[in-house]
Amino acid sequence: MDRVLYLEFERCIGCRACQAACRECGGHDAKERNYVEYIDFMESRQTFPMMCMHCKDPACARVCPANAIQITKDGVVLSAMEEKCIGCRNCTFGCPFGIPKFDFEKNIMYKCDMCYERTSQDISPMCASVCPSEAIRFIGFEEMMELRRKRAQSNLLQGKKPTEQNKWNFVPETFGVYTE
Amino acid sequence: MATETKNLHRKGESFIPTHCSYCGMQCGMNVRIDDATGRVVGIEPRYEWPVNQGRLCPKGVTAYQQVEHPDRILRPLIKRDGKFIEASWEEAYDLIERKFKEIAATYGKDAVGVYGGVSMTNEKCYLVGKYARVGLGTKHIDYNGRYCMSSAAGGFNATLGMDRGSTLPWTDLLHSDCFFLAGSNTAECHPTSITWFWRGRDRGAKLIVADPRETPTARIADVHLDLKPGTDSALANGIAHILIKEGYVDNEYVVQRVNGFEDLEKMVGKFTPEYTSWLTGVAQEKIIKAAHIYGKAKKSVVMFARGVEQQRKGVDNVGSYTNLALIRGQIGKFASGVATFTGQGNGQGGREHGQKADLLPGYRKLTDPEAVQYISQVWGIDPAEMPGPGVSAYEMLDSIHQGTVRAMHVICSNPAVSSPNAHHVWKALEKLDFLVVNDFFLSETAEFADVVLPTTTWAEDEGTTTNTEGRVIKINQIRKPAGESKPDWRILSEIATRMGRGKYFKYGNAEEIFNELRVASRGGKADYYGITYEKIEKQQGVFWPCPDLEHPGTPYVYQDSFPTPDGKANLRIVDWQEAGEIQSKEFPEILTTGRVVFHYLSGNQTRRIDFLMEKCPEPYAEMHPEMASKYNLQDGEEVELETRRAKMKLKVRLTKAIRKDTVFVPYHWGKQLSVNQLTNPCLDPVSRMPEFKVCAVRLRKS
Repeated sequence: MDRVLYLEFERCIGCRACQAACRECGGHDAKERNYVEYIDFMESRQTFPMMCMHCKDPACARVCPANAIQITKDGVVLSAMEEKCIGCRNCTFGCPFGIPKFDFEKNIMYKCDMCYERTSQDISPMCASVCPSEAIRFIGFEEMMELRRKRAQSNLLQGKKPTEQNKWNFVPETFGVYTE
Repeated sequence: MATETKNLHRKGESFIPTHCSYCGMQCGMNVRIDDATGRVVGIEPRYEWPVNQGRLCPKGVTAYQQVEHPDRILRPLIKRDGKFIEASWEEAYDLIERKFKEIAATYGKDAVGVYGGVSMTNEKCYLVGKYARVGLGTKHIDYNGRYCMSSAAGGFNATLGMDRGSTLPWTDLLHSDCFFLAGSNTAECHPTSITWFWRGRDRGAKLIVADPRETPTARIADVHLDLKPGTDSALANGIAHILIKEGYVDNEYVVQRVNGFEDLEKMVGKFTPEYTSWLTGVAQEKIIKAAHIYGKAKKSVVMFARGVEQQRKGVDNVGSYTNLALIRGQIGKFASGVATFTGQGNGQGGREHGQKADLLPGYRKLTDPEAVQYISQVWGIDPAEMPGPGVSAYEMLDSIHQGTVRAMHVICSNPAVSSPNAHHVWKALEKLDFLVVNDFFLSETAEFADVVLPTTTWAEDEGTTTNTEGRVIKINQIRKPAGESKPDWRILSEIATRMGRGKYFKYGNAEEIFNELRVASRGGKADYYGITYEKIEKQQGVFWPCPDLEHPGTPYVYQDSFPTPDGKANLRIVDWQEAGEIQSKEFPEILTTGRVVFHYLSGNQTRRIDFLMEKCPEPYAEMHPEMASKYNLQDGEEVELETRRAKMKLKVRLTKAIRKDTVFVPYHWGKQLSVNQLTNPCLDPVSRMPEFKVCAVRLRKS
């Protein structure tokens, strides 16, 4: 899998199509595994999609006492394996983004698996397929790098300067989470 | 953008390409079916459809859930002693035939009214007009598009000479330099449009949004013109004033292609930024900045939606925004022009083919003897038989109170929720001697009915619709009709047969109706003659007008001239006029209504979908915390809204992203939750559009 999930929070329109689509993915058991939140509805309608980061060294997997959370060879952090999960809910507390959720009926954790059925065949996951504003995209690594460069350029063109809050938008691509 | 055409193919399943059942974007989608049972089981993105490229909104993603929904009506229902009892089609038709004939014999044929809708295919919309005029012989026909697109139609006909919602294909928006969106919250109402704006923005295009609320669309604008509801024509005149004063007018274009520039110049002379700001409540700097951005753009698009159209000055508003595109010389060119966002799935096609009180297929006028002659010949009737023009939707419902209309057939519509001044309309529906409703869910209107006829959903029949761009597209049949439901065209043909008019309604399938529609529209403004099902398939939709079979269709209109008598567009000269109801001591705040992203129209479909109801279960009163504190209201508390017509209770939702004098309530709910109990039935003099978007209201903590 050469492609990555690319997010642009400011594009999010809060429609939650990604959540509706997440329920539609086979094996998702009609439960969404991504979340859309208002930043502060009193101040603005800005929303953002909260997706699993598929961390390189995921806290959810690290805190799992039963080794139930597997990571595929292409780096996708899967839902807990049914036969291993002991229902301790460590992962739901361990994840700093609040992604793993707990199914109290089945006594098992569930989380985003990047629509593994789709992405393992290089097909866009459901959330990125339907996102009407392209806030969530599933694109090639090179294209993603291109986009990051462009965003930095257009920000500088508009006369903005990096600040502590958004310097991430300006950093060169050699300095980032995506490089080895 | 990387294009992707690969889809996930699951074992034991197949999928059929079609389009969404909801709004005017008519997004392409694949609907999945289980091979063994033939039942609809889900969706799969249709990446290759050019308008949405696989993208969908939450309504689109869940649209398929309507088809196998447990609430579906599967057999005809007849009301006995106030309760619906399942019946056979024969019993239902017997009753309808007897009642319609009785009422027509006693009160005349015009006593039976037909109320259509445009969330159905062109074939069905066309047939509704023919059914009313030939099958029942009544002049009383109108449709729910009266509450939706009629002002845009009126405005475009008056200025450009033809009513095609968009002068350019949507895919062009990628290349525009400036978007001027007025009264459109496209991010929530046509969510798949927003990508085109974002892609334009990525290239450096500017965005101007006029809206009383800082909607998700306005949030990303370069300039947000936060105008007072009902002041659109003043704002447009104010922008025109600056465009003229600052020399942004395309003089060559204006001389060659536009009438009335001197009059416009004279009229907008007084709309200085000071005066405009005083009328609209928008800061002068914003108006000036917006005008300069719009004026400087080489390729710009003016777009609007119900926000400007659902007013008593709807036609004037549309005309005065269209003026901006005309004096900038933008119409008829690549990546520029003017467009309205069509609300309903087939809002464009449904209004072209004779469902309107005064129109015949092909956008022909009922008052034009030649048009009557031509259509009568297509239909095989005597021109003298053709009923005259009827009255608009709200007036038809109102006329029930006078006893002019005694029976009604409502098809694909829910006027009990969508009409303004709802209590008045509910009383009218109660008063009807006989009401027949075609629907697949028991809508609020259907609850008033004597007979409810089960129709198919969009996935159980084929046909064409015309999307917001004017592109005619094909809806494909996914599965066979559920239960005993039948497509509307079959129901209408069968009732017409019962009324002794069967020889005019001999159709075996939808395509036969489409072929008749093609002939009926031939030579009219909306000419579909050259469009066939195969051509739609081959070309990914065909833009009308398409006058002959070799013609490729017309993505851009007005490139050389306008379809007016002298070939020139007419600027609409509009003086300032107040809204139908203005704030007073008694009713000090403004109420405006609109959509949320999770629901569609009267909500009869979307209120039954679990996901959408979880996200937005009930209406609310959205207001600024400063307004709320005047009435001692906190977030989540209950407030009573009262207008001159009625009052209702709602939960308060606070945000600073709205004007301090405006309350917003979404309109997708019925009965006690319907905000249309409060709205003002003040009608536009041309389009007969009620003023849903502005009325005076008072608040009380309850």
